[in-house]
Amino acid sequence: MQKIISTLLIIFILPLSQGFSETKKFGGEIVHFKGQKLSIQWDSLTHSPLVIRAVESNLLEIKNISKLSRKEITYTGPVLVNKYKPLLQIEPDKLRLKGAEKISDTWYVSYWQTFGGVIIYESSLGYAIDSRGRIKSLGALLYPKVQAPVNNKVSHQEALKIGQAQIKDFKKLKCILLAESILIYPIKKKNSIDYYRVYAFNFFPQEALHPASVVGGWAVFVDTQTGKVVLFEELLKPLGCCIPEDWVPPKPEEMMKPKW
Amino acid sequence: MKRKILYSSSNPLLKILSIGLLFSLIIFSCKGEREKSPLPKLGNFAIDFNCKDLQGESWNLEKVKGKIVLLRFWADWCPYCRYEMPIIDKYYRKLKKEGFLVLAVNVKQSAEVALAFITQTDVTFPVPLDSDGSLAKRYGVYAIPTNFLIDREGVIREILIGEVFREEKPLRDLLKNYFPSP
Repeated sequence: MQKIISTLLIIFILPLSQGFSETKKFGGEIVHFKGQKLSIQWDSLTHSPLVIRAVESNLLEIKNISKLSRKEITYTGPVLVNKYKPLLQIEPDKLRLKGAEKISDTWYVSYWQTFGGVIIYESSLGYAIDSRGRIKSLGALLYPKVQAPVNNKVSHQEALKIGQAQIKDFKKLKCILLAESILIYPIKKKNSIDYYRVYAFNFFPQEALHPASVVGGWAVFVDTQTGKVVLFEELLKPLGCCIPEDWVPPKPEEMMKPKW
Repeated sequence: MKRKILYSSSNPLLKILSIGLLFSLIIFSCKGEREKSPLPKLGNFAIDFNCKDLQGESWNLEKVKGKIVLLRFWADWCPYCRYEMPIIDKYYRKLKKEGFLVLAVNVKQSAEVALAFITQTDVTFPVPLDSDGSLAKRYGVYAIPTNFLIDREGVIREILIGEVFREEKPLRDLLKNYFPSP
């Protein structure tokens, strides 16, 4: 009797489990969206897609890709968001261009998400467009339910002082404010996300200014509502390679890329 | 009395032991040149690591032994890191079967950020996570991108700080030392 049950299990259950793993082939859930088969990986907290892949099709096909200018390429983001709006759950006008570079016939395009005109820290939506104009997948980190203050209660001057005070030997190291911005800073908790509107400061010591220097700096995020420091961390220096022989020190604000 | 026996050259067992000891000393002294140092140096053994990639796979030195490894530290906010990824991935795809491995360690970012980024750039190599930056610290990484080229024996052969692979040539030239036709 046991043998019969085992045989039946093998005959009926095994194919079922294989069918299940088939749906997990791309590491995501298979969704049929407007007649298109997509594989989606979801963010468990934001309930927004981290990855959308078109299965046996493309997310978008852009005609005459080779004739398009960089500016025209940057319009593809809002088109893509519009097409998959029910999945991405954000409006196309919430995107702000992060970068659009062509490397070996492929365009790499990425955007930030904004809230009230302010960039959400580490948010992104991006994709590659191949030489035939095909977008096969997109990667995203979006916050559809973002809610944050739209005004500041703490002044910029006050926040800057708070930020500077975090760095030991600020004066001794001749630290310089190399980048600053107002950002929305999401802090992910176990079951929810707290959104802070922050003054984001990047400080670097004087000696970090030389392009070949590998001296790092600090990122300090100060809450615009309370003046509380919500992020303080050491900053690695993003480093380009080529230092021309006739290099002269540029103005600090021209040479460093902020961490957002 | 005992001493005499111990140092007696006529004792065959002692002879074997002495030769063995001598060989061990030679071997250890050779190895000693490449022993672990506090920070990675050219010609030294790479510092061991243990981290998981986005697929949950664990990576350490023992696992990658026998491969030519490009251990790379990056973050998505670093524009130079972004530019290099597609070029590196092109060579990873090409030479993967011949034993070229890229471990692109994401520094101090979440799995979600890293996953979104690698999908955007369509890269296929493993992306281990160094969420607290401790591995980057142990490797003395203060600027990104920083690349360590580790040979099949686990010895560091190149340390490349900053953007160097925006064009294919530098990477191709580097890999020529290890692969017949990169």
